[in-house]
Amino acid sequence: MVASREKKELTLGHKLSRDYKLNKWKYVLILPVLVYLALFAYKPMYGLVIVFKNYKTTRGIAGSDYVGFMWFRAFFNDPYFFRLLRNTFTLSALSIIFGFPAPILLALMINEVQNTKFKRMVQTITYMPYFISLVVTCSIITIYCQQDGLFSNIAVLFGGERQNFLINVNAFRPIYVISGIWQNIGWNSIIYLAALSGIDMEQYEAARIDGANRFQQILHVTIPGILPTIMVLFVLRMGSILNVGYEKVLLLYTTSTYEVADVFSTYTYRMGLVNQQYSLSTSVGLFNTLVNVMFLVLTNYLSKKTTESGLF
Amino acid sequence: MKKALAIVLALCLLLTVSSAFALELLPAGDTYPIDTDATISWYVQGSLSPHDVYADWTQSPFHTGLIEKTGVNIDWSFPTTGADGNTYTNTLLAEPATMPNIMGVSKMADAAMYLNEGIIWDLTDYIEEYAPAYYAFLHTNPAYDKALKTDDGKYYAFGFFREDGGWNDSYRGPVVRTDWLEEQGLEIPTTISEFENVIRVFNEAYGAQFSFAWSRFKEGSLEGAFGAYATSDATWFIKDGEVGLGNTTEEWRAYVAWLRSLREDGLFDEDNFSLTDTTIKAKVHDDKVGISMTSMGQLNNWNKEEVAAGREGTWIGIPYPTDDDGNISSIFGGSGIGGYTYMISKSADEETMKLCLQVLDYAYTQEGFLYWNFGVQGVSWDYDENGEPAFLPLVTDDTDTDPMTKYNGATWGSACIQATKLLYLKNSPVAVAANDTWFYSVPAEVSSGWKWPNGTTFTVEENDELSLLNASNIGTYASESFAKFVNGDLDINDDTVWAEYLANYDTYNLPRILEIRQACYDRYLSR
Repeated sequence: MVASREKKELTLGHKLSRDYKLNKWKYVLILPVLVYLALFAYKPMYGLVIVFKNYKTTRGIAGSDYVGFMWFRAFFNDPYFFRLLRNTFTLSALSIIFGFPAPILLALMINEVQNTKFKRMVQTITYMPYFISLVVTCSIITIYCQQDGLFSNIAVLFGGERQNFLINVNAFRPIYVISGIWQNIGWNSIIYLAALSGIDMEQYEAARIDGANRFQQILHVTIPGILPTIMVLFVLRMGSILNVGYEKVLLLYTTSTYEVADVFSTYTYRMGLVNQQYSLSTSVGLFNTLVNVMFLVLTNYLSKKTTESGLF
Repeated sequence: MKKALAIVLALCLLLTVSSAFALELLPAGDTYPIDTDATISWYVQGSLSPHDVYADWTQSPFHTGLIEKTGVNIDWSFPTTGADGNTYTNTLLAEPATMPNIMGVSKMADAAMYLNEGIIWDLTDYIEEYAPAYYAFLHTNPAYDKALKTDDGKYYAFGFFREDGGWNDSYRGPVVRTDWLEEQGLEIPTTISEFENVIRVFNEAYGAQFSFAWSRFKEGSLEGAFGAYATSDATWFIKDGEVGLGNTTEEWRAYVAWLRSLREDGLFDEDNFSLTDTTIKAKVHDDKVGISMTSMGQLNNWNKEEVAAGREGTWIGIPYPTDDDGNISSIFGGSGIGGYTYMISKSADEETMKLCLQVLDYAYTQEGFLYWNFGVQGVSWDYDENGEPAFLPLVTDDTDTDPMTKYNGATWGSACIQATKLLYLKNSPVAVAANDTWFYSVPAEVSSGWKWPNGTTFTVEENDELSLLNASNIGTYASESFAKFVNGDLDINDDTVWAEYLANYDTYNLPRILEIRQACYDRYLSR
């Protein structure tokens, strides 16, 4: 049995050595990424241990006292816990439900446009919002949402009343999701356009010969052609289901909308960077990550089951 | 009525100016410049950043000038442009070994913890010898000495003091457009009913609403007219020695119900929660607001911009309104002792710490006081015919915003004593009169006597317990409840809703947090 294992190890080493000789430059290319991951993804993991400690900066990670699951208990018993969980899931789920298909639809539509100039113009216009800083985007949204802003003017045109939409609890989520789609739809469609260009034109020709119209071609050739790409991106997106960026929420929420806008990342920011409760905020971060991993594995499993494509 | 008020204010003004330079400060003697090659590092969270026109501190006359005056090389550092100062400070505190030697931060409540953890120096055994001017200044007023020590009598920081003893702590208050008042034949409102009437008349006549930048309202506004002590932020107050939370009283309920009624009648701007000093100006200049709350600095700006646009500067400060019987419980104010201090971190060895003490002490000497407030004599200021400091054309002819901040360090508060004269020189007579109105129209217990004092310190155990109790949740709950009441998402007039609102504070551990705060305050009193 020992001899067999040694043989196996030798085989693996041999394989690696042979692969390295064949792909030397690829290994060199991947090195910075490995260093990056080691430094910024794996090394900080040591710091996670402070979730079990009453972390004091002067005593360091090793010198701080163990307190077991005290911070997890404090977090789970926090009156805001369920609200944070609900808000994070809701904002993320809405962003996925409406935001994930949007660039796919845009890519499909752009793909159908025959006029090259018009196609390029549409692409450029839809990419542009992506390059606007988030702070500027949120300032524009804030101004448009004011009592005498653009949205109020439109509402009045249709018989509605003037109001500040950003203090309206019911309006916060649509504003967050729609503005997110507006900002990212063009950029996110690039990868689908690339996938679309990889579909063999002969398949369309065959479909046309079989009598398929444009819509049937999209349904039976285009979408199946980019489905693996869609699924990989969907699995990746599900892996960050609890990662709602704190910047945009911080920039858009007011005390009126905490009820629907306060999410794990804003809570972590407040507890960690504002209130210096490092152990507590790390425990929230760890919880966040564990839920993300769970969703990643689950979605990957379902994806492989249904479409036979997945991440791992 | 108006004449009497004007006479009282003029007298107060005279008293304030004549009391300037009554400070008894030690001369710097031959201590400065100190003969040394050593360099100290000095971090400033806010208030002392170089003027915007300079790329960095090496171009700033004040920062480089202090190096010349004290003889000690200073390596200044500030939060990255655009960063939140408090957050930036916390990232520095997370790495105590690499902290700058002097830390200019707003962390008095945590001082006992920092001393216990060995993050900052206990200055008790050194202060009298190495900072004699500061030590002497603290002993000119028992309140100063009490505020700048821990409960067990340890000195740990250099503080910020206002020469006027609290006048400019009331730098924020109600303001009104005088041209509209005159057009409508209205008097300056003094009671809350009159105040509301002005809002209503302005709304009917001009379509204007009661509006303001949120930061100028949330920490203290018109609640005093209802006998209350809080607006939207969780506000701890002291009454008859008892610590309370302003947002849980019946008086606060009456105040919020009043705001709600304004909102229902379309008189209270819905945009308030998201308005800043910049965005409110569009409303001010577009005639969408005629009565508001702002600071004396912003009042200056509003009038200046009106004049620049070819109109007359029409905004003036008016008294905080009382109830209809003339009673008022609180206004935005303070005791003249800032909450912002300069501590010496343990990244400084003992010799460096002594040097830091000497450098910081300079601000509390006669010469240092003048440098910190006015800059270099003969360059940025000189004595006028009355023997009082006055800025020279280098400052007065400079069209940049707040040009004196290029040469002085006391304009926004720092480790120094802010001269009242500086504020008189910096602000327009209308803005100074506004500050007079806000401060002198109420007795001291209304402007500062009710306030949770700056300088209280929690014990290490209390700090740990407050962390575990998530004490900051109280602030979140208070301010979002305020918004819900004002917007009508919760009915403030419904007794069941109100009872539930109060009961929820137990979920946020208010009873225990009040006990901790009471103990902290009692220790402070017995210092």
